[in-house]
Amino acid sequence: MKRLPAPYGLLINREQSISFSFENKAYQGLAGDSIASALAANDQWLLSRSFKYHRPRGALTMAGQDANTMVQLPSNPNALADKEPIAEGLQVMGQNYSGSLENDRGSILGLFSRFLPVGFYYKAFFKPRGMWEKWVKLIRKKAGLGVINQQLEPEYYDKQYKFYDVVVVGAGPTGLQAALTAAVDGCEVLLVDENPILGGSLNYARLDTEGTLAKEVRDQLILEVNGNSNITCMTNAMVNAWFADNWLPIICGKRLYKVRSKQTILCTGALEQQAVFHNNDVPGVMMSSAAQRLMHLYGVAPGKTAVVVTGNDDGYANALDLMDAGVNVAAIIDLRETPKATPMIEAAIKRRLKIKPGYAVYGAQQNGNHLSAVEIRKVVSQGICAEVGETISCDLLCMAVGYTPTYQLACQSGGQLSYDDNSAMFTLNNLADDLQVAGSVNSYWDLGNCLEEGARAATIATNALGFTQADIPEAMAKESQSPNHSWPIFAHPKGKEFVDFDEDLTIADIINATKDGYEHIQLVKRYSTCGMGPSQGRHSALAAARLVAAATNKTVAETGVTTARPPFAPEHLGHSAGRSFYPARRSNMHYRHLEAGAQMLQAGAWYRPAFYSPQADYGPSLDSAVCINNEVNNVRNNVGLVDVSTLGGLEVRGPDAGEFLNRFYTFGFVKQPVGKARYALLTNEAGVVIDDGVACRFSEEHYYVTATTGGVDRVYQNMLKWNAQWRLDVDIANVTSAYSAVNIAGPKARQVLAKLCSDIDLSKEAFPYMGVREGTVAGIPARLIRVGFVGELGYEVHVPQQFGEALWDALMDAGQPEGIKPFGIEAQRILRLEKGHIIIGQDTDAMSNPMEVQMGWAVSRKKPFFVGGRTISELKKKTPSRSLVGFMINDTDGPTPMESHLVLNGEQMAGRVTSCNYSPTLGKPIGLAYVQPHSAEAGSQITIRANGGVLVTAEVVTLPFYDPTTARQEL
Amino acid sequence: MTDYNPLLPIAPAQGNRRSPLYRRHVDLQAKFEQVGDAVLVSHYVKPGIEVLLAANLGLVDLSTMPRTGFKGAGAPAWAASQRVKLPKLPNTAVTQKDGSVVAKLSHQELLIVSNIMGSATSIDRLNREHLNREHSNKEHLNREHLNREHSNKEHLSKQTLAPQTYSLPRADSHSWLAVTGNAAAEMFSKICGVDLRVHKFAHNQVAQTSVAKINGVILRHDLATTPCFYILSDITSTEFLWDSLLDAMEEYRGAAVGVAAMRSLAANK
Repeated sequence: MKRLPAPYGLLINREQSISFSFENKAYQGLAGDSIASALAANDQWLLSRSFKYHRPRGALTMAGQDANTMVQLPSNPNALADKEPIAEGLQVMGQNYSGSLENDRGSILGLFSRFLPVGFYYKAFFKPRGMWEKWVKLIRKKAGLGVINQQLEPEYYDKQYKFYDVVVVGAGPTGLQAALTAAVDGCEVLLVDENPILGGSLNYARLDTEGTLAKEVRDQLILEVNGNSNITCMTNAMVNAWFADNWLPIICGKRLYKVRSKQTILCTGALEQQAVFHNNDVPGVMMSSAAQRLMHLYGVAPGKTAVVVTGNDDGYANALDLMDAGVNVAAIIDLRETPKATPMIEAAIKRRLKIKPGYAVYGAQQNGNHLSAVEIRKVVSQGICAEVGETISCDLLCMAVGYTPTYQLACQSGGQLSYDDNSAMFTLNNLADDLQVAGSVNSYWDLGNCLEEGARAATIATNALGFTQADIPEAMAKESQSPNHSWPIFAHPKGKEFVDFDEDLTIADIINATKDGYEHIQLVKRYSTCGMGPSQGRHSALAAARLVAAATNKTVAETGVTTARPPFAPEHLGHSAGRSFYPARRSNMHYRHLEAGAQMLQAGAWYRPAFYSPQADYGPSLDSAVCINNEVNNVRNNVGLVDVSTLGGLEVRGPDAGEFLNRFYTFGFVKQPVGKARYALLTNEAGVVIDDGVACRFSEEHYYVTATTGGVDRVYQNMLKWNAQWRLDVDIANVTSAYSAVNIAGPKARQVLAKLCSDIDLSKEAFPYMGVREGTVAGIPARLIRVGFVGELGYEVHVPQQFGEALWDALMDAGQPEGIKPFGIEAQRILRLEKGHIIIGQDTDAMSNPMEVQMGWAVSRKKPFFVGGRTISELKKKTPSRSLVGFMINDTDGPTPMESHLVLNGEQMAGRVTSCNYSPTLGKPIGLAYVQPHSAEAGSQITIRANGGVLVTAEVVTLPFYDPTTARQEL
Repeated sequence: MTDYNPLLPIAPAQGNRRSPLYRRHVDLQAKFEQVGDAVLVSHYVKPGIEVLLAANLGLVDLSTMPRTGFKGAGAPAWAASQRVKLPKLPNTAVTQKDGSVVAKLSHQELLIVSNIMGSATSIDRLNREHLNREHSNKEHLNREHLNREHSNKEHLSKQTLAPQTYSLPRADSHSWLAVTGNAAAEMFSKICGVDLRVHKFAHNQVAQTSVAKINGVILRHDLATTPCFYILSDITSTEFLWDSLLDAMEEYRGAAVGVAAMRSLAANK
């Protein structure tokens, strides 16, 4: 493990050694190393294989901006080796190879590249007919990178909200200055950077000939930032998108921060771009900033002999840095014919560096899997080189040919990226009012200009927030010299000049896409997949735009670049999925059900007892059907208790309460007597049945209305919506949660209830069917409703929520001599089916009107208006197309149909089953089904296709199946 | 209510009104106390330690404590006539003389929670007064209803006795939890989208928002110098919310504490 001496290696701790493995070989690194830097310190440069041609790839940016460094970790695939820190014992493997990473048999695909032209996905595989089915297996096998560890235990990811006056994205010199200015003016500032330390390019770039300025500025700015309590710094954090109203998702560790910022300042800097030439992807070829990061951040010399290809001063600074670090710089290849003399160039000349102006790197050569030499040639015109050149041996080629602004977040906010073909400069326009850009993202490169612009952006923000009323200084003048060379692209007869490293796309691929008719840059992207890989076009967008522009005789400005959608960087699914909330609702009697052996099921957010299997604690549970049938029989013959706390409860109070219900439900309510309940059927404007319940009138101006468990929220919303139009003097309150409720039902219900109810006369005469009363049960204030949903003498008892368990206990104790037993909703479903009562949502669908479901009796014909009334009156004039009927299956040997089984008329579908169960009371299966009108008469035979295609004959019968005289519920 | 014997340990299910969380408290070996008809957790561990926990981050179940609500066009005026000091603006609260807190949820809606001693004199009085008023109204209207039926005339006067004020069963529709301590706001930022930091969300300020995906009313009501946030949310989801809060609190070493710790903090002037 070789390291440059301090002060090289800002991030590493030389005192703490860490062991890890790569490709099953042991390595030593230092705390603070990334996987890639630790491997580089051990002279291991090959990191991965490319997606299509399995070409060897090494570090390109050392900043987590490219797909070259994707490796397999035990916990996840596609980890970026230049971002992922090493850890003791970490096992790292390469990806996407056959055999070994060093000798990948898949690399033979590169020899067949001319048979895999751009868009070959679309041209091949589908002919002859049926071939796709065969190809798809191979394609699926080859597609995707890395392996998901399905044995891995889920880890804890979560989310957190944060609120700031100003969020500054990027902690380079511009960002540090912007944060400081805003914080000094009194703003609460969040300064976010994706790197482990603050400083951005100040941590690795050479800004002056001596190489001291960056450190001086960095130390001063960071000192001030750390000393300002208004600034919160978040490092190793990625602002992964910009959403409306400055909603910024920031990923840091295993947490997704949902940040609201009143003003956002983007100081996101710029992304260095590659030169495009033959074999420009060979390990050893890297961005000049990557070489500087290796030296300054990790103390690793990026090579022994270097060549620098450049179109700006940064290449010279890079060469000086390499020299200082002891790397032999063989030559600086300057694409410019006559570079303007600058202090950096003069320093390079002074240090006798070999400079080749007007030259380009025409191709790279490799020995094994690493760079061994470059061929340079004189540039004769845009993209064209001389016929002959010279070869320079080297193991490192640094590319410093220009930058694109890190524009993604700005563009997500609606900003537009423009490019000036003459100056090769970018600008960002049409930004949101609450978003500023500053620094090199806005094409300022000089340190002084960047600091001024950072302060200026902050002042705009603080003025907007009312912290200051300062004069906004004029924007700094754009710099005269762009660091971007206008055409660092050189085609080669042997190709392999990579525009997009992720997808192995070359110059020819992009040009051929335009020749195939896909001339728009967005179409080129989709056809060629350029920019669709993990690095999302960070290094391919500009080169592709230049090539498309040239091929279509347009300017780059006219061509534009592809859209940069969120997320900016890949994120773990855990960040989106982590710590989601799934609220669960429990009645106050929940644990009594569990103690009684209930099998619970979820109905929306509610937990409800399906049935009780009392033997669960002591031995094998009884068969569920036996349990349910026992519960049904106990209700029919004794007395049962069911928890109906989940039923919706709505208080409708006020002088216009009756009028309101009259308009809202289908029945009439104005003349409903106090002390009585009335069935309430709800339809929507289309006359479709959407809910039901009972309206209990406790006083002239007070109705307590029940609704279905799943429908109450919608009913409540509809009530509010309609009354916003009607403006009746009525108050509506959803009190569903405020009441615990049970239904005590069965012939002995009155007998049990009477033991606990001293202040209400429960006699048939005093408290008849559909009566409502207020009083106490076991000393608990209660509302009692005589209902008959299950077809027996029954009382719904509604009590304040926290008294639910006490009520349950009291009733179960009191009913012991009568053999009271709890029953669940499965038994309740059978009981109500025997009684022919429908369940809204199960026996109705999005088309069911009251007449179809035999609820015409619940529609008032006297009212001038109710919701859906007009439609229903029109529907009544039409011949119905179906009818919900009861059916009975007399042949008990066949299968029992299930919900949604089809009713057939010959081979044709004639309806469907909505409910069907074995009836313990009748000893045969019964059900409800939609049938055609001609089959709706009692005595008609219908055919149902049950499981396995078995045809079952059923007889249509008059509802209800049980107790047609209603004698039992009116006991 | 079963008979209360001061010599026996107080059981959380001895009364008819039971917190949805009482089993959780039993699992945590809570010691209970009785305040009025309510049984609530006094403490789980040593009270002295719990004060320290609560000062950092504590979670208290106050669900059996008194609270009520009123709404309607006549509610503010009626409450004022009952000597209730009303907040000027919606989403703010005012502490009453007896320590109870009246929050205005809208121009026509009031939420009233008791002091942490559980002495509910003003709440009981308001509930009683309102009930009496409702009964008077009801009897009057029912008489009119009967008159109309007998005379078969729809046009007979149909007038209530006073502008409309409707009671809301807040003691049963909403659970009442308190989150105490200096780390409370930071913890809330994991489960609530409102900025509850103490310099942004003042004492007696109210937010009607979502906590862990459940609708809730958050009322900041400090215990002397210790930040304290009441959460009133759907009572049927209390266990879910309790678990969600404890999970979010773990990072800050938060814990369930009893009402005794709250009282100690409130006494630390």
